[in-house]
Amino acid sequence: MISFELSLVLFVPLFCAAFTVLFLRTSKWGGAALSVLSAAFSLGMVLSVMFAPDSGAIFKSSHELFRLGDFGLDFGYLFDGLTKNMLFVVCFVGFLIHVFSVGYMDDDPSKGRFFAGMSFFMFSMTGIVLSSNLIMMFVFWELVGFSSYALIAHYSSTAAAREASKKAFIVNRVGDFGFLLGIIFCWTTLGTTNFVEMAQIFQTDPARASTAMGLLVTCGFIGKSAQFPLQVWLGDAMAGPTPVSALIHAATMVAAGVFMMVRLSTIGFLTPCVLEFVTVICALMAFFAGLWALGQSDIKKILAYSTLAHLGLMGVGIGLGYELAMYHLTTHAFFKATLFLVAGSIIHACHHEQNIFKMGGIFKRMPVTSAVALVATLSIIAIPYFSGYYSKESILMAAFGKSAGGELVDSVVFWLVMGAAFLTPIYMGRLFFNVFLGKPNSEKAEHARESSVWMTLPLVVLAVYSLAGAWSFAYDIVWFDGKMDGLIPAAATTFVGDTVKATISKLEAVPHMHTLEMVALIMTLIGILLSYAVYGGTRGYDVVERKFPPLYRALERHGWFDDVYNYYVKKVQQRFATFLATFVDLFLIELLWVRGLGIVCSVTGMGIRKLHDCSANSQIKWMVAGVLLLMVLIFA
Amino acid sequence: METSFSILLTAGVCAPFLCAALMALFWPCLGEKSARSLSVAFSGISLASALVLWGAYMANYMVNIGFAFVTSEFISGAGIPPMGLNGVSMPMFAMAAIVGFAAVLWAAKSDIKNPRLYFLLLMVMQGGLMGAFASTNLLWMYMFHEFALVPTFIAMSIWGGAGKRMAAMQMAVYLTLGALVSLVGIIAIYVLTGAASFGLQDIVLAMASVPISAFWQYCVFALLLFGLGTLVSLFPFHTWAPRTYSAAPTSFAMLHAGVLKKFGLYVLIQVAVPLLPAGCADWSYVMAVLALFNVVYIGLVTMAQRDLKMMVSYSSVAHMGLCFLGIASMSVLGVGGAVLLMFGHGLSVALLFMLSNAIVNRTGEWNMFKMGGLYKQTPVLAGFFIAATLASLGLPGFANFWGEFSILMSLWSFSPAICAVAATGIIISAIYGLRAVANIFMGEEPTKELEPKFSGICDLTALEKIPAVILLAALLFVGFYPKSITQPLDSDLSIVPAYNQSK
Repeated sequence: MISFELSLVLFVPLFCAAFTVLFLRTSKWGGAALSVLSAAFSLGMVLSVMFAPDSGAIFKSSHELFRLGDFGLDFGYLFDGLTKNMLFVVCFVGFLIHVFSVGYMDDDPSKGRFFAGMSFFMFSMTGIVLSSNLIMMFVFWELVGFSSYALIAHYSSTAAAREASKKAFIVNRVGDFGFLLGIIFCWTTLGTTNFVEMAQIFQTDPARASTAMGLLVTCGFIGKSAQFPLQVWLGDAMAGPTPVSALIHAATMVAAGVFMMVRLSTIGFLTPCVLEFVTVICALMAFFAGLWALGQSDIKKILAYSTLAHLGLMGVGIGLGYELAMYHLTTHAFFKATLFLVAGSIIHACHHEQNIFKMGGIFKRMPVTSAVALVATLSIIAIPYFSGYYSKESILMAAFGKSAGGELVDSVVFWLVMGAAFLTPIYMGRLFFNVFLGKPNSEKAEHARESSVWMTLPLVVLAVYSLAGAWSFAYDIVWFDGKMDGLIPAAATTFVGDTVKATISKLEAVPHMHTLEMVALIMTLIGILLSYAVYGGTRGYDVVERKFPPLYRALERHGWFDDVYNYYVKKVQQRFATFLATFVDLFLIELLWVRGLGIVCSVTGMGIRKLHDCSANSQIKWMVAGVLLLMVLIFA
Repeated sequence: METSFSILLTAGVCAPFLCAALMALFWPCLGEKSARSLSVAFSGISLASALVLWGAYMANYMVNIGFAFVTSEFISGAGIPPMGLNGVSMPMFAMAAIVGFAAVLWAAKSDIKNPRLYFLLLMVMQGGLMGAFASTNLLWMYMFHEFALVPTFIAMSIWGGAGKRMAAMQMAVYLTLGALVSLVGIIAIYVLTGAASFGLQDIVLAMASVPISAFWQYCVFALLLFGLGTLVSLFPFHTWAPRTYSAAPTSFAMLHAGVLKKFGLYVLIQVAVPLLPAGCADWSYVMAVLALFNVVYIGLVTMAQRDLKMMVSYSSVAHMGLCFLGIASMSVLGVGGAVLLMFGHGLSVALLFMLSNAIVNRTGEWNMFKMGGLYKQTPVLAGFFIAATLASLGLPGFANFWGEFSILMSLWSFSPAICAVAATGIIISAIYGLRAVANIFMGEEPTKELEPKFSGICDLTALEKIPAVILLAALLFVGFYPKSITQPLDSDLSIVPAYNQSK
């Protein structure tokens, strides 16, 4: 029975997307209505499944989709605690963002395409979450890549969208190249890619999980969740509409990489070596992305780098204990979606002005949006009792706990995470002080007005979750006979809630842990003050940019990755391709080899024709030569 | 029941020929319009029969062992050996019918000089293709293939685009040579086994009693590999293909690149590897390495193309590499993947050629870098083009994905290194495919070359949409329901010993 309901959750958005593309492409509101309804339907269905009495059980089903030789592929669902947690995040945040989009896209001429893309994204994202094996996950993985491509390209007539959409897809494909090889390797050595079956295999013989396999699969995570060295696409992806950035490039799709890694960790797929590797690159990302966020002036790009940093934190969480990653994923989805939607609300009100130094004084003009922004900002910089505090703090504690072991790598990771935690209030403060406080710095900001209910209502709901979302995990709250664990359905909290409390209490036994908590808090406050001291006062420009241009440029170039890649693509790869196309293919093969063969043939032909002129003279010569040759052959 | 299906099979093969014969007979009193509608009607019959047969095959694939729907003695009495379909030829037959119908529809709405001759040749070509995939007799396979090949030469020299003379000559030399070499191989098989006829079943029977020695397998497979390889544009025998496709008239390019080119692979899968497994095993590494050149080297060459049609043509050469790799793996998975990819690629490349033609006709421009911002004027055309591009770069949901995926899956046990190199194809194809989309449809205002006529460019008309929808629907159908092909394919391939040697 659940199988049918889950199928509805999965396929209804697909049908809505298809219907919109076929029939409602030019309709003004038809596509939007259908898409929002389908998102609401999915959310309702998911909640009803979670409230069902037997919702605690793990459920799996499958149906054969494909068989060739010894390879069979099942299309199936795996519905356990992890799935429920992620599914709730995706459907709940997804639904709110759909509602927000109705307001945000009100003046867009191609709403049909936009909402069809959103529905298609919901289909493919729920597909990733529900998949019962790696291959089906890969299928949906590629499909979210496509929806991301299509939605980034929404404003297709701008050069930014054109380049960014292409880049996002291709960079993701580079990651998927490794992911695909990892899946193939996995299937060839284990004979299955089904999560449940793999869990059994690793339970009986953990040695069958190989590091090479894990590293290859990690490539997929690195591409999708934009970690080193494939993070370059996420900043550019902000060329898409803001609800898309909120849904796909902050709350859900980029977190799909983390979800996949958590899924694989739970079954013992990832060896300690792989986890170590993931922890290190993600810790680096968490720290450096925080720095790079200080070099951006576009509100969405600042948030994008903050997303990179937080995905890095989740990555560190994967290495330290996968439930921590899932914990931070959940709270991050709430507060980051809120922040992006706040940005969207402001951008919409300021007529597509995105530069934070041209905003200012928004608090007076857009009170609801600004209040929501304050809550989400406090949550992201980890002020106690706000959601972000719980999950970030637990990752910090776990990193500290691990570094107590004395390994150099672990201490480096810990300090990087500390650095990241210190940077968050600085860049978020820079954003907040410049956008909301002071006086407007441009005509557009002057005339900003509060957004419509379509936009503010989802914002308020998300703000509540940004504040209190984590309470469901951290405390024992029982609502509705235990069906709701605070604000989140009880079924969706079991995966994190059951283990995280035990982990935390174990960590608290580590010496100096309380000192760490205090230090972290003080550091956050110092960060806020520092941020205010440097960036406060809405000057209309970035102080660092004026006073220390080289430093600002260095931050702005975000590690020169783009420069190196562009150099490679334009100067190396394209030149090599042109060399192959012109010199090798046209000159060597086509001209020298093929035509050359033709010329040799015709020259030989001409030569032979010379021998066959019909004069008696030459015929006698040939006859004599032939007789001589024969005599030599006979007598020799 | 069985006989009515075989009548349908005969009808599917004969309808295009019949149409061609009718057109030739009533040449003087045949109007342009009637030529168009006759062709549409008769290739519609082919399509309908192929789809019915496909459905029937899917329904009772368990019962069919060997060839199904085998035509009766009546036809063999007339000197034509029996025809039939199996799991490998069924998808090819269906694809030939679908692409053929789309090509005829596309031609029916375009403006052509001397349309009667154009449609006559097109019908002969389609008939040849349907016949080639329906034959169970090697010699007839070959003859039908020639029937399909010759009209391309003629059509190219009459309606061809820029550089048609050179391209037609080069293609004629290459393809005739390739076909001749493979004919020698086919005759060699016949002579070596001493079979009663060229019929595939007869040869298999004869081979059971007199197996071919390893040395002869090695020699004959080489003939077939390089002869057929030339037809499929295996590196380094590929240079005819891009020039031919960009010079050939659209409908012929669709049928040639989409369907006819698959004939070489089809014969390898259906005949060469099952009959000469030891020969294939000897050559498999050579084949794999050459095919990797197709994937990587031609892929890079494709990236450097500026001309839209050349880009599509080179990309079709690049994708053939993966099919060869699937065959080289000599496993049910790899070979099945090759069949799936042949099916998917045939449809997607035909769609791409068709839409490129639509773009070029509208803009009067070949160079992709001189286009831009077309989305604003032609959203539907852009949608179809993007879908076709995504299909050809192997996005799940389209038939091509299953093909590429199965081939790569099978390659790991053949050699992980080859698998890894082949998998770079998924990145390379994304680069050139999406670059083309970005250059043609996205971006700011039109370039200065396009500016004067930009506002006059209109979207696909309803008549143009129909063939595009047909091709896309077939791609999506198999993409979502791959069992429609793999189920019969699996049961037929798993009884071939050559594909079931565990490594």
